[in-house]
Amino acid sequence: MASDKAGMAPPTEAPRPPLDPWRIAIYAVLFAGVLIAIGPFLWMISASFMTLSEVNLTRLLPENLLWENYATALRRANFLDIEVVTHPETGVLQSLGVSGYIWNSVRITFITVTGSLLVCIPAAYAFARMNFIGRNFIFALFLSTMMIPGIVMLIPHLLTVIWLGRLSESLFGPAGAWFNNWPALTIPFFASVFNIFLLRQFFIQIPEDLWEAARIDGAGHPRFLISVVLPLSKAPIMTIVTLGFIGSWNALMWPLLVTINDEWRPIAVGLSNFVTADTPGDLNLQMAASVITVIPILALYFVAQKQFTEGISQTGIKS
Amino acid sequence: MLNTRRGRLLKENLTAYAFLAPAGVLIFLFGLFPVAFAFFVSLHRWRRFPDSYIGLANYEKALGNLGYILFFWLALLAFAAAVRVSRQLAKTLRQSDFKLEAVPLLVGVICGYATLLALDWFFKLVPVIMLIPRQVRGQNVSLDLFMEKFGESFASPDVYAAGQMMLLGFALTAVALALVVWRFRTVSSAEVIVRGGMATAALLAAVFLLRLTIDETNLAIAAARESGESLPIWSQLVFVSAGIVLVASAWLIFQRGIRAQSNRRFALLAFGGLALAVGGYLLMAEAPAALAAADDDLLQGFWVTVMYAGGTVPVQLTIGLLLAYLLFQPIRFRSFFRMVYFIPYITPFVATSIVFRIIFDAGKTAPANRMLAIVGIEPQRWILERSSIGSLLGLPDFLAGPALALIVIMIYSTWTYIGYDAVIFLAGLGNISGELYEAARIDGASGWRIFRHITLPLLSPTIFFLSLVAIIGTFQAFTQIWILRTGAVGSKVNTASVYIFDELQNSNRYGYASSMAFVLFALILLMTLFQNRIMGRRVFYG
Repeated sequence: MASDKAGMAPPTEAPRPPLDPWRIAIYAVLFAGVLIAIGPFLWMISASFMTLSEVNLTRLLPENLLWENYATALRRANFLDIEVVTHPETGVLQSLGVSGYIWNSVRITFITVTGSLLVCIPAAYAFARMNFIGRNFIFALFLSTMMIPGIVMLIPHLLTVIWLGRLSESLFGPAGAWFNNWPALTIPFFASVFNIFLLRQFFIQIPEDLWEAARIDGAGHPRFLISVVLPLSKAPIMTIVTLGFIGSWNALMWPLLVTINDEWRPIAVGLSNFVTADTPGDLNLQMAASVITVIPILALYFVAQKQFTEGISQTGIKS
Repeated sequence: MLNTRRGRLLKENLTAYAFLAPAGVLIFLFGLFPVAFAFFVSLHRWRRFPDSYIGLANYEKALGNLGYILFFWLALLAFAAAVRVSRQLAKTLRQSDFKLEAVPLLVGVICGYATLLALDWFFKLVPVIMLIPRQVRGQNVSLDLFMEKFGESFASPDVYAAGQMMLLGFALTAVALALVVWRFRTVSSAEVIVRGGMATAALLAAVFLLRLTIDETNLAIAAARESGESLPIWSQLVFVSAGIVLVASAWLIFQRGIRAQSNRRFALLAFGGLALAVGGYLLMAEAPAALAAADDDLLQGFWVTVMYAGGTVPVQLTIGLLLAYLLFQPIRFRSFFRMVYFIPYITPFVATSIVFRIIFDAGKTAPANRMLAIVGIEPQRWILERSSIGSLLGLPDFLAGPALALIVIMIYSTWTYIGYDAVIFLAGLGNISGELYEAARIDGASGWRIFRHITLPLLSPTIFFLSLVAIIGTFQAFTQIWILRTGAVGSKVNTASVYIFDELQNSNRYGYASSMAFVLFALILLMTLFQNRIMGRRVFYG
């Protein structure tokens, strides 16, 4: 696969030729590209510390760093609200209430990624290392669903979610609702064909000898999967986790359809609501809110950069 | 020995299915079933809950008479698919003994028919089931009530009749399969059964589509006649189809002309092709008439989508390739550059769009307007501007082009995707063997010639892949537009997907939105096929 090479530097780390005009021109273009690519982010950060009038005049740098913009934005945009109740005399923690869009997104992301791993790993293992009737046919059927544009699926997904929600509501009471609750936001994304495909490609490469050895030791498939295959597959699992994280963190269209209040709305919807409700209001606060939204993604990106680039070169997903 | 081996095989099969079960159920529910379901919804009046069956009326609303024409072509395509499967089947039969395979063939036909009966039953059941939430609304929802309603829906007359037919089909299939297993167990029988089943199913589906189209068309014509008008669907169908056929054959003739040896032959073929193309174009002049009753917002959505694709894809691919090529030179900080270029792609649209809103604000102090001021141009209204770029530049109407607001969205979208394109191009460049460059350099080729004659051809698979992904992406583009659009520009920036989403979320027209989504789907498929044929031929796979 071409994408395997994405993380690999081209093989030209030979002795560096001296700087000639051509080389200077290359650097000039590349640095101009850097400026265009991250200029908006730099200004976003800078503007998040400004006063409103400074933003309106589009100053490049703030005169004073207004850290309180962040506190105000967190509160006004309903991003995060932590309610700590301690006992009035002893000071012992009694209850801890966390709410807000960030908390929602964290919960949604966690459920989606965990569920996706639980569903996709066994399926990928079955396709990669087991023989069963109809394997190739089922695999082809799964893959074919990747070609269908999302907009066609939108309405059936919505109807299915509404119906399943009613069923589970009658089973588990109001807590079992799907609509405007976590199941609608997470369960449809558990079985990702792409994840299955990625893991399968990796599982196939695990040497057959390991399986023979495990079988002689009396291990069956589930045992082999848990104690041999999984520890070897940290890299693809990391890729899935990072991609799942961006997917849920950036999701906008589907959450807009299936949520009606803030109880489970993720951060992208929250930011979008804050901006539309605020137009053309406090741009400095909007910038602070944007920075808060972007930071987790960027942090993860800097930590797991290789997984990001490789994973995305292989999928081209962006939600 | 045999017993334990069998036991182990059975166990392995069961374990595998258990491993697959969760993913299988979810993919069926959220991957496979939705396509059939969306088509089903599009044939109904459906707002949140199912309403009456209205045939192709949603498609007529979307595309006017062209909707019927589209379905006619779809039916023909289904027939073509059926013929293809049948030919494969015939090939299998020829390779084996036909007499011996006659029974499995019959079994295959029964299987195919039974599958369709099951589908029929299922889609009669679905609307009844879909109504349950509405029926139990307001009552004290309990599992018993829900299950009672669920049970009742199987007993409703239509569903019951279809269910009996399905059971009959299943019983026949079981008997037939047992017969094959008992008497005709050969290697090729399984293949014959599968192919026979597929051929039957495809043929029946094609017949169903064709009947649906013809019935609906006749109904529409009759309805129009009753109200004293005439609805020339059939003549339009003939004209438009003939036009398409003529233009397609003109294209084929041109292709032959290009390959022709003598100049005379080339001139002759080119002239013939031109004549055919003109004829086809004249015939296709009927198409606008067929579109007369179409939904103008949808047509505009398609037009906006085309402009959006035309304005972003070439630009982002060119710049991406340029950056990747520069990054591929022996330079320092390569991984730093690559990391930075990728940042716009991974960050949420919602966050970055806010900065672009400020850059392209209508105010005098907005960065974009300040830059215009440096060059001495009047400040523009950018994302609030609904006038087209052409009219702002004082060009005639037919050069109007996209609204200025759409241009801002294009710039934003290009900015987002360049890094992604550059990273993929870089991977593609890394796959080209260094020896080729070495050889070219020894032969004294200049930098540009190396790029033109080695890099570009060997990179063509990557270019092909990226352009396909990018074009399909623009046809599905939603978030970047939905976020940057303002009330002031109205529908001038709404692509087809944004319009579909609006119909869904604001108007709750599920049936209509489904039909439009299907039209978009058909268009994307068509484009993919077209691109595969035209560009795929030029791709050089080393």
